[in-house]
Amino acid sequence: MRKKKHGEFRRPFVVKTNTNTKQQPHLASVDPITGKKIPKSFVFSRGKIPGPLKQLQMDLRKLMLPYTALSLKEKRRNNLKDFLNVAGPMGVTHFLILSKTATAAYLRVATTPQGPTLTFKINEYSLAADVAKSQLHPRCPKDLFTKSALIVLSGFVSGDLPLKLTTNMFQNIFPTIDVKTVKLSSCQRIVLLNYNKDTKQIDFRHYSIRLQPIGVSRRIRKFVQNHQVPDLRNLQDVSDFVTKAGYGSESEADEEAATVTLSSDIGRVNRASMKSAVKLQEIGPRMTLQLVKVEKGLCSGEVLFSEYGKPGDKGKHDDEDNEMQDNEDEDDSEGSEDQDGNGSEVDEDEGHEELD
Amino acid sequence: MAEVMQLRESGGLLRKRKLGKKQGHKKKPKLMPPPHGQKKVKVDKKMKKLFRKRAREYNSDDDDEDEEENEASVPTTTNKHNGDEIDSEEPSEDEGKTEGGRKGWNKNATDEDNEFSEDEGGEDDGVVQPGIMKFTEGVRAFKMAFRNIINKSVSEDLLGPILSGHKKLIADKLAEEEAERETKGEAKKEKQKLAEKGHVTPANYLVPHEKFLISVATKGVVKLFNAVNKAQSAQKGLDPSRTKDAKEIKKRTKAAFFSELGKPSFTATGTSAKANARTGKVEDEQPAWAPLQDNYMLTSAKLKNWDKMPDKSVSDEVERASEDSSSDED
Repeated sequence: MRKKKHGEFRRPFVVKTNTNTKQQPHLASVDPITGKKIPKSFVFSRGKIPGPLKQLQMDLRKLMLPYTALSLKEKRRNNLKDFLNVAGPMGVTHFLILSKTATAAYLRVATTPQGPTLTFKINEYSLAADVAKSQLHPRCPKDLFTKSALIVLSGFVSGDLPLKLTTNMFQNIFPTIDVKTVKLSSCQRIVLLNYNKDTKQIDFRHYSIRLQPIGVSRRIRKFVQNHQVPDLRNLQDVSDFVTKAGYGSESEADEEAATVTLSSDIGRVNRASMKSAVKLQEIGPRMTLQLVKVEKGLCSGEVLFSEYGKPGDKGKHDDEDNEMQDNEDEDDSEGSEDQDGNGSEVDEDEGHEELD
Repeated sequence: MAEVMQLRESGGLLRKRKLGKKQGHKKKPKLMPPPHGQKKVKVDKKMKKLFRKRAREYNSDDDDEDEEENEASVPTTTNKHNGDEIDSEEPSEDEGKTEGGRKGWNKNATDEDNEFSEDEGGEDDGVVQPGIMKFTEGVRAFKMAFRNIINKSVSEDLLGPILSGHKKLIADKLAEEEAERETKGEAKKEKQKLAEKGHVTPANYLVPHEKFLISVATKGVVKLFNAVNKAQSAQKGLDPSRTKDAKEIKKRTKAAFFSELGKPSFTATGTSAKANARTGKVEDEQPAWAPLQDNYMLTSAKLKNWDKMPDKSVSDEVERASEDSSSDED
């Protein structure tokens, strides 16, 4: 009798845990509230890449969290098809592929399984560690990477096909936000892509979002935040702690533009219906990208756009690739900004990885 | 005394060895070449000595006789051939000289199977005995030679005395190695440089460009947050878990969906084309409540042609209704 009762008690509990823990990952391919498909990504590298790039790969994985494989193991003999085969059942929609040649590092962003593929040349990059090192107080709250980042695209003028593709690609690489249901506390990070029309370069930045109440002195804010007994030694009265203004260190000038009224409380200090200032602090990595090629397929197929070659050229893929490489070689030698060079040196590129 | 002990042991060993051979390998000793067999015996002897010594140390309380007797009793039970042999062994334990005689007797007496192994045993004893002597002599000679070498005085040199003959050669080689290392280091540096290509460390201070980027990103965040605020303040105070409120929310989302359908699709503008904030942006464009809109009842062609396009007007009505309901909350 007792046993039976126990079993009855246990049964719904077990089912509940199942739904909570095991089915979550399966369901996670679809947003539970909006019902939209959540994009997932793999970040991996092709060919041999040096240490700093490996670090960059790790940083990118962290950036793409939580819908990415943080500890994706790859072997040298893994080819793209292997990743593609895994991507299908896992619901992975995007690939971010790092590679390295003698001239520069490259980042390919592709949608699976059909493409298109955008190839970016990484002109410059800094790792998250470098960025943190350059800051006085690097910020990394515990739950920073538990929610996906927002994305802000700026300066992309619509109309141009490659740019349109780029905006589309990067918009879809992060889960869409439903304005009506999103929790502001889950907006912790932001990825900024800023297109510079003159240099044709894209600045890739990654910031953490911090909200601070306005109109509250720093002391009180800290007091509320930290819950620590403040140092009152130098004060005559307790009221001094409240009334005495702190340093005017905060730049109040451009704060009006960066204030928001919150609809819900965030944390302990940011109450709803109170003005809060939006503060961004860079997390890294940062990259300066340059779109060099757009392919129709996944790292293959018709070349829709090439920074150096003719876009209409439908030669064999490998030739195209070589040409691209050559042009980059020339480009590098003459300076990084201009890309009009139509070099025709036949030079075997050495470090390039196989694409299929 | 030590000698006696040794001999006794050797006698024991002989017996033991024979026993083993008899039991297991009757044909093996014949097939084996003599030197190999001899060697094996030698090793066995050493090991056995060691084992014996250990055993003695282990049960030091027991006297030797006891041990011997035990051993002697083993072969009698298992071996028929050596029955008389054991008798002959008793004197050999006391006197080393009779050992040889015993051996000879053994040689004659044992059958053909045993003969070979017996031979080996004889040889073994013969070799080992003078070998030990030679070894001790050799140690002395070696000691002398070694001391001679050690005492020799040699010139202090970097390369040492042994390489003195090839001094020039060695110097060349060292120089070559040095050069090689240098080139290797250079190549490594080059490789490092290549690996680090494009890797820049950001400056400690805020570069104007970075400031600009941060401001752009901030603008985007502010825009999104405002949109979220606008959208969510409407349904504030409604708890989705309560059925009544859930119904209300459902109604509103449905209305919003229809209103979205009625509106022209949003086209991305130049700066901050943010897909995520799309809905918020559309709402930005005009006040939610219809009478507050600038063009309310003025420019709407729908009102003019209300009788011509009934379908569209229906959808418009839905839209109006939705906006009304949402504005009630505000």
